Amino acid sequence: MTWEPHIFKDLHQIPREEHVFPGTPLCAGCGGLESLRLASKVLGSNVVYVNAAGCFTNLAAFPFTPLDASWLYTTMGSAPAGAQGVRDALDVLIAKGRLPKEEDVKVVVLGGDGSTYDMALSSTSGAITRKLDFYYFCYDNEAYGNTGVQLSPATPYGARTATSPCAVRHPAGTMQEKKDIFEIWRAHKPPYIATVSPRYPLDLEEKFARAAQYSGPKLFLAFAACPTGWLFDPAYTPDVAKLAVECGIWPLKEAINGEVVHTYLPKRQPVEHYLKLQGRFRHLFEPTVQTDAIAHIQERVNTYWRDVT
Amino acid sequence: MLSIRFHGRGGQGAKTASRIVGTAAFLEGFTAQDSPIYGAERRGAPVAAFTRIAKKPIRERGLIARPDLVVVADASLIGDPSARVLDGVDERTVLFVNSPLTPDQLRARTSVSGRLTVLDLTDLALKQFGKRGAISALLGAVAGRLAGLRPESIREAIVRELTDLGLTAPVIERNQALAMQCFEAVQPVTLEPGPRAPVPSAQLRTPTYDPPTRGTAGITAGPNSAIRSVSGWRTFRPVLRPDLCNGCWLCFASCPEGAITIKPDGKPAVYYPHCKGCLDCVEVCPTDAMTVEREPEGANK
Repeated sequence: MTWEPHIFKDLHQIPREEHVFPGTPLCAGCGGLESLRLASKVLGSNVVYVNAAGCFTNLAAFPFTPLDASWLYTTMGSAPAGAQGVRDALDVLIAKGRLPKEEDVKVVVLGGDGSTYDMALSSTSGAITRKLDFYYFCYDNEAYGNTGVQLSPATPYGARTATSPCAVRHPAGTMQEKKDIFEIWRAHKPPYIATVSPRYPLDLEEKFARAAQYSGPKLFLAFAACPTGWLFDPAYTPDVAKLAVECGIWPLKEAINGEVVHTYLPKRQPVEHYLKLQGRFRHLFEPTVQTDAIAHIQERVNTYWRDVT
Repeated sequence: MLSIRFHGRGGQGAKTASRIVGTAAFLEGFTAQDSPIYGAERRGAPVAAFTRIAKKPIRERGLIARPDLVVVADASLIGDPSARVLDGVDERTVLFVNSPLTPDQLRARTSVSGRLTVLDLTDLALKQFGKRGAISALLGAVAGRLAGLRPESIREAIVRELTDLGLTAPVIERNQALAMQCFEAVQPVTLEPGPRAPVPSAQLRTPTYDPPTRGTAGITAGPNSAIRSVSGWRTFRPVLRPDLCNGCWLCFASCPEGAITIKPDGKPAVYYPHCKGCLDCVEVCPTDAMTVEREPEGANK
């Protein structure tokens, strides 16, 4: 079954109006900010962002904010709980007639992979179980980026981070596999989950537009290529994001009420094309090529796509 | 004791340069101390690093308020108040600036005075490596020269520090060769270390607060971050050639900052005060209408 966009078919349909404004102190070439900017074009300005500590802490450095929406800042582990509080307060105000229904706002959690995969997992699980009506936007840069790029459960096998360097005992760097948060979320049976990449802007916009019709938890995993942490020139952010999808490492998919559909079927280039662009994988190629490690990464990708029809 | 302060933008290599100088001094038998300033590790944002060199154990810790030598990796930092490049600089301080301008031109355009040395390291690195990147080895070599260190120890320190970063032997050799070129190109100066007038303590003021019932800070303001310019982050800028543009909007969709707007004729335009110079738009442009130009000194800041 091939997936067709209903609304966004041409780049010229991307709304010109901005909701995440320039002037943030985030890194030049931030893939996470790129995704958030595109997502906000669909979400609009009637939003409360509940921001878990992370790179996006830098979004709103008092007294400046790039958002034309509200912003609530929480600890890394409690953003979905914060979202529950905001949602409940809105619901109570509407029920009592103190807030007109038209003035209702969307509640959107912003969390990095450190929050999403690790610290806020129990809080998210609780929120999904309670069928909280909110959006979850995870910018996944596969490490604890803001503190200096340490290992997170989202770090893939073979990547080098500050706390998983390539050493004699583990020459490939990170030994663990990336946690499959998509399937963990899906096991909770929320109405909408999707993975997105900013290099596929129409796919991204379409998914955010589609999610709007579902009430309940709507969860998004956004690929956030990270020049600072992944050690590549900021100019290559789009290439890294594109190759992650084209090599099959970052599948673009959505799950509506648990049913998974891949929204883009890549031709699947060899994973080397993706790995070679980034300094965090350089030790797999220099000074000697770690054939086993690269084959392992390729094998994981192949195994994933074997089950995809 | 010799105090050296490095200023750069995240990703330029100021921190590594301070380590190279520290290691080189250590190899020559000095006591050395080097440390970067801690902040969120962000590319393009101002960073500083400190090296102290002495014959005796160093008791002093922390930031260097009265430097003997200041090494500036990016001339645009001089005008950036948050970078505080000229803090504690007096007539005895030697200042090195990476810039294509001559010292006189730089004095005329910025508030820099005193003992100034200039060399265009970015241009040398561009010519040698063909791409922009960190200039840590070059900064380290220049600082080492001005501090009076020997070339052998700087060569060795570059190998040690760059190996630590995971760079390969051929890359390190190229860096070493160019660093030595810079070492030779800079005239040695006599640094005048020694006790300096202490930094006057800041006047403390007690802020007045209104009770929360009367009002708090304006946290209900709209998107006001756009009033800040991020121009200083750029070392290169994207420049649109309208004749080649096919109006596909890919650059508009890919700009993480939202610095690219669409004009009424459907063509994009870069608003430079909001552009951090990541050059993503250049990379995605299918018709190569977006080109790269080196940032002119002091322009549009």
